[in-house]
Amino acid sequence: MLVSFNLVMALAAVPAALLARRVGPGRAAAVGLAVFAGAGLACGLSDQLSTLIVARCIQALGGAAAVTAALELLPATVGSERRAATVWAAAGATGAALGPALGGILTELVSWQSIFLLQVPVALVAAVPILAVAKHAGATGVIEPELRRTGRPHLWANLALAMVSAAIAAALFLLVLLLIEGWRLSPIVAAIVVSVMPLAAILGGKLAEQVPDARSRAAAGAILVSGGLAGLAFLPKATIALTIPPQILVGIGLSLVLSALTETALGGRAPQAIHGGWTISARHAGVVIGLLALTPIFTAEIDQQRHDAINAGTAVILDSPVNPLLKLSLAEKVSERLEEERGKVPTIGPAFEPLPDDPAERAEVQQLQGELQDQLDRGATHAFSTSFILAALLGLIALFPIALSKEVEL
Amino acid sequence: MRGRVLVIGAIVASLVLVGAYLAAGGSSYEPEKVQNPCEPRPWSNPQTLGQIANQFTISALDGAACKLGVSRETLARALATPEARARFAKKYGIDDEKLAKAIRAGLLRAVDDAEEAGALSPLLAGPLRTTLQHIPLDQAIELINDAESLLGNVNSFLGPAGSLLEQFLP
Repeated sequence: MLVSFNLVMALAAVPAALLARRVGPGRAAAVGLAVFAGAGLACGLSDQLSTLIVARCIQALGGAAAVTAALELLPATVGSERRAATVWAAAGATGAALGPALGGILTELVSWQSIFLLQVPVALVAAVPILAVAKHAGATGVIEPELRRTGRPHLWANLALAMVSAAIAAALFLLVLLLIEGWRLSPIVAAIVVSVMPLAAILGGKLAEQVPDARSRAAAGAILVSGGLAGLAFLPKATIALTIPPQILVGIGLSLVLSALTETALGGRAPQAIHGGWTISARHAGVVIGLLALTPIFTAEIDQQRHDAINAGTAVILDSPVNPLLKLSLAEKVSERLEEERGKVPTIGPAFEPLPDDPAERAEVQQLQGELQDQLDRGATHAFSTSFILAALLGLIALFPIALSKEVEL
Repeated sequence: MRGRVLVIGAIVASLVLVGAYLAAGGSSYEPEKVQNPCEPRPWSNPQTLGQIANQFTISALDGAACKLGVSRETLARALATPEARARFAKKYGIDDEKLAKAIRAGLLRAVDDAEEAGALSPLLAGPLRTTLQHIPLDQAIELINDAESLLGNVNSFLGPAGSLLEQFLP
């Protein structure tokens, strides 16, 4: 389910771009947006997982057509292909950073279905200017394939895009999971916390305007994404504030690297829609690979860390000076909580209720609760470390294809 | 030039962040490791009956867990309820007889530790060992849960644990 949308996007982006070339970007964008909106409605109304997955796959087909066709239409609006590539790349980077925050807020305030239902009017509203631009530019007709020869895709830039996208997907997905499943924050609080990344991405966009060299921007971005991920891997405490600096690095980094690599992949190449399709394909393939590779590692780690944390917490209880009958009763309640919340990091508070009447004993039990919670927080946080480190390495490995992408004319 | 500054700035920012987090303990922020139950756990000079009972319980759990090859913490949670015990038995393939043997071994280790720490008279430790060698599983678990009652009654030879002693003494 998680990767179905990205997988279809990765496979359909280039064929969708070819279709847009054949039928005209205006028509392709309009049909793509209509399919995207219709499938979004189906996602929002679906009551079965299988229906949801199918609808998401159809939505990805529509999205691929709309996004690649939009790139073909943009030069008519912004004045040049180069400027179009920059705007298109920046929009992609902002969308990647904004998604989790917006999704979390909608899930908490309304429902998860609202994420998809909201896409319907957004897609329909987006269709209006696209059709207007298409009409104005006379782009609704068929573009003859021989007008502009299709060049080979930029291998190194697209490879780097795939690697960096895998790292960024890990950053977004794992951080949201850490906050909600590990630290038990509500989706809206988690959404507010991860909104640091899109805000930092805006800052990264401003920074990018000051540096014309795309390769330097891509390298700096990949380093910042890796540095931020490494920071998340070595959090010294389970507090929200400590996630802010790494998020700032990831946000600025993703804005720099995604836009620079997309510009590099598109620069001097024609037709733009097809090369844009290759970048979309690379980015979504990266997301798929990143999530498929890191999810099993993270899942195994969280099971192990949960086990270690519970043992450490039980050790705290057993070694405490409270009455043996009380401590074994606490161990029993902790055991019950584990059974009730099997497979998750348990909420431990109810195991300590009701608190003893005796003030001294109450203080001891509250201290025990705090220590046990600390062990659980340690376990939950540490469970994500390996995945964050691997994601950071992916970002660093992307520096090799970035270094090889220097012979690109922009 | 600006590009080079940007790259150097990114490297410095990343290194500063990671260095600061590592210096603040980021590499060791994980659950504390539990002690191997087979290793001796020294008694911390208990004074009151409650403190002695506390140590006795821990020694007994250590001894039994060592015998079963699990952690003391896992065993403590397993002995909390009959349901937890059944899950534990299924997961580790341990039947009641094996569990009873292990808990008796744990209780004997607790008596040894109590005697060594001067918390239990050698005169009482001897008959207590003999009693514990034959005690049924449910009562053995009860003694781990309520060591204070056992030790209090051993010292006074009264009450339910005293009756147990009378029942099982040869």
